[in-house]
Amino acid sequence: MPISSDRLRRALNPRTAVVVGSKKADGYMWLRNYSTFTGQLSSVQIDPNEIPGIEALGVKNYTSLLDVPGEVDYVMLAVPRPVAPRVLADCAKKGVGAVALFTSGFAETGEGEGIRLQDELLRIARDGDVALIGPNCMGLYNRRLGIRQSAEQGSGDAGDVGFISQSGTHAINFSLVGEQHGVRVSTSVSIGNAIVLDVPDYLDYLADDADTKVIAMYIEGVRDGPRFVRSLRRACSQKPVVVWKGGVTAAGARATASHTGALATSSAVFRAVLRQAGALAADSLEDTIDVVKALLYAKPATGRRMGLMAMTGGQSVVITDAFVTVGLDVPRLSGASYAELASFFNIIGGSYQNPLDMGGTIGFGGSAQTLGKLFAILDADPNVDAIAMEMAAGFLARRWQADPASLDGLLDSLVAHQQRSAKPFVTILQPQHVEEIVAQARRRMQERGLAVFPSFERAARALNRAIDYHRFRAGMDVP
Amino acid sequence: MTQAIIESARAQGRTLLTEIEAKQVLEEAGIRVSPARLAKTAGEAATIADGLGYPVVLKVVSPQITHKSDVGGVELDIASAADVRAAFDRIVAAARQHAPDATIDGVAVQRMEPPGIEVIVGMTKDPQFGPVLMFGLGGILVEVLKDVAFRVVPLTERDARQMIHEIKGYPLLEGYRGHDPADVAKLEQLVLQVSAFVEQHPEVAELDLNPVFAYKDGAIAVDARIVLADGA
Repeated sequence: MPISSDRLRRALNPRTAVVVGSKKADGYMWLRNYSTFTGQLSSVQIDPNEIPGIEALGVKNYTSLLDVPGEVDYVMLAVPRPVAPRVLADCAKKGVGAVALFTSGFAETGEGEGIRLQDELLRIARDGDVALIGPNCMGLYNRRLGIRQSAEQGSGDAGDVGFISQSGTHAINFSLVGEQHGVRVSTSVSIGNAIVLDVPDYLDYLADDADTKVIAMYIEGVRDGPRFVRSLRRACSQKPVVVWKGGVTAAGARATASHTGALATSSAVFRAVLRQAGALAADSLEDTIDVVKALLYAKPATGRRMGLMAMTGGQSVVITDAFVTVGLDVPRLSGASYAELASFFNIIGGSYQNPLDMGGTIGFGGSAQTLGKLFAILDADPNVDAIAMEMAAGFLARRWQADPASLDGLLDSLVAHQQRSAKPFVTILQPQHVEEIVAQARRRMQERGLAVFPSFERAARALNRAIDYHRFRAGMDVP
Repeated sequence: MTQAIIESARAQGRTLLTEIEAKQVLEEAGIRVSPARLAKTAGEAATIADGLGYPVVLKVVSPQITHKSDVGGVELDIASAADVRAAFDRIVAAARQHAPDATIDGVAVQRMEPPGIEVIVGMTKDPQFGPVLMFGLGGILVEVLKDVAFRVVPLTERDARQMIHEIKGYPLLEGYRGHDPADVAKLEQLVLQVSAFVEQHPEVAELDLNPVFAYKDGAIAVDARIVLADGA
């Protein structure tokens, strides 16, 4: 009995929400997480000692879910384990849109009572046709509507990345760390034990969600392999899907068993499933954010030939190694490009074979006019599909700090290039010894729509996989 | 024929098809195999060998003997009818001596295929994703280096192509140091045929074509193993 897409749309875009079991001991966590909710928020709590604290937050409390007037689209259930089935039955009676069950201690414990209670939840949800998220989860984050998994998450505007997570921690970290890197969540669901709503349900929804441009997920295992493959294929035919799989080592797989009770499939088979569907594999939080960033910010391309730009000779060498190592090409430029470069490029302490070792030519800080000429040459060069530029933060960050206009001027050139060019463009801003200044510079670059990576390797790996996806969509071979 | 073979194996309580049966089943699915015929006597073996053309290979056929060469049950590169008769007798005697309790059905006679680049194609069932095909280079490359690629059934043409290109040893298939390249298009076709076969036969639990000899103009499965699912 799958939950219909209309039901899920209502549940993940609620206009009314109720928190059941909010309490002082956890600082009224769920009511605070939902303090930014744009719809009608209510509370259900029967303990008279807790009610004054809830009402002090300006939230109307009821002593039964059935007393809450009108329709309820979304319920966050944070009640003690033994009570969960009874409150879930109330949710069924009330006909709520969806229930997220924060409470843990079910089948993931492997202990008899937990398994029994989970079976009971499943039976109540099936009999009552309840769209259940979890148990053992942090529920929904809808950024636009201000329904959050953590009070640190942003709200009020729509993001562009959908996230599905078998871990509440990773769901929250993806949104918080992602935001620092210009990757903002549209809708994220922490799915917990996923006994009713499972990865394919959320995947189908996010594939159709207009706000969501890219889908990412953290999963430890799959319950129904063929159904997962069907949904993944369908989603990948509409938008990129990045899959971060936990438990890829034998010891890690043992940990997943106690975390979410996931069954182990060999990681080689799982990777094959991803490749066949056109999904991109990622192996950490940072890696997931990197790939999503490349997909969001860099323009689509199917070619792998890089035009590289660096400020010094040493960086020119290692940026080349990094990009070639992941499978990208760094070819010689066209004769026309070389002829033009020969007319003005400063080859004393520089070179323009590709990479362009351009510090001396653009006057290090960046002569906008000369930099613009270099961009135009690479943009026009038929041997170049994508462009990456090293920012020399180690040498320049203090100057940017002392004279912010110098960074703005440089960024003007980069943004002008990115707007003009159809080729993907990524930048590398290494933290070096000036991490704090670089963090600020990174934010300014992200605000201006540039894809910024902290190392050559991360830029190369991320861009390479974005190209994999665009090749897949174009029906081309991927390796 | 395929159905009859499967039913007769089940009727005998076997899940493992003999090499001869496995090859008949695969041949019917359009997969090129080096055919093997069962000889019950030395004379039959010589007649079959004359029909197949020399040189030939003889292998003991017994449901109890899985590691045939360990019991002296395999002889290669036999060039004449007289040698076939002698080899038949040696194999049967060696098998009786090493495995006195085994039932010996006879000896399989097959052509000794000219050497090519050895590859393997296999299928196992994943508990969550169902049948999964494996492709790799044969011999020590698969055993020691685990240089194999996987794809879930059914495969598309792109899957088959990418799977073969994915193995690290791929350059060996392109020909190296004057060796002939492998007919990669034929290998892709073989992988797709196995995918289709597996899809049509859910009763097959495991399949191994090991080795397959890849030539510059074709590929042939030299040995084949099929295991059926229990019951049903």
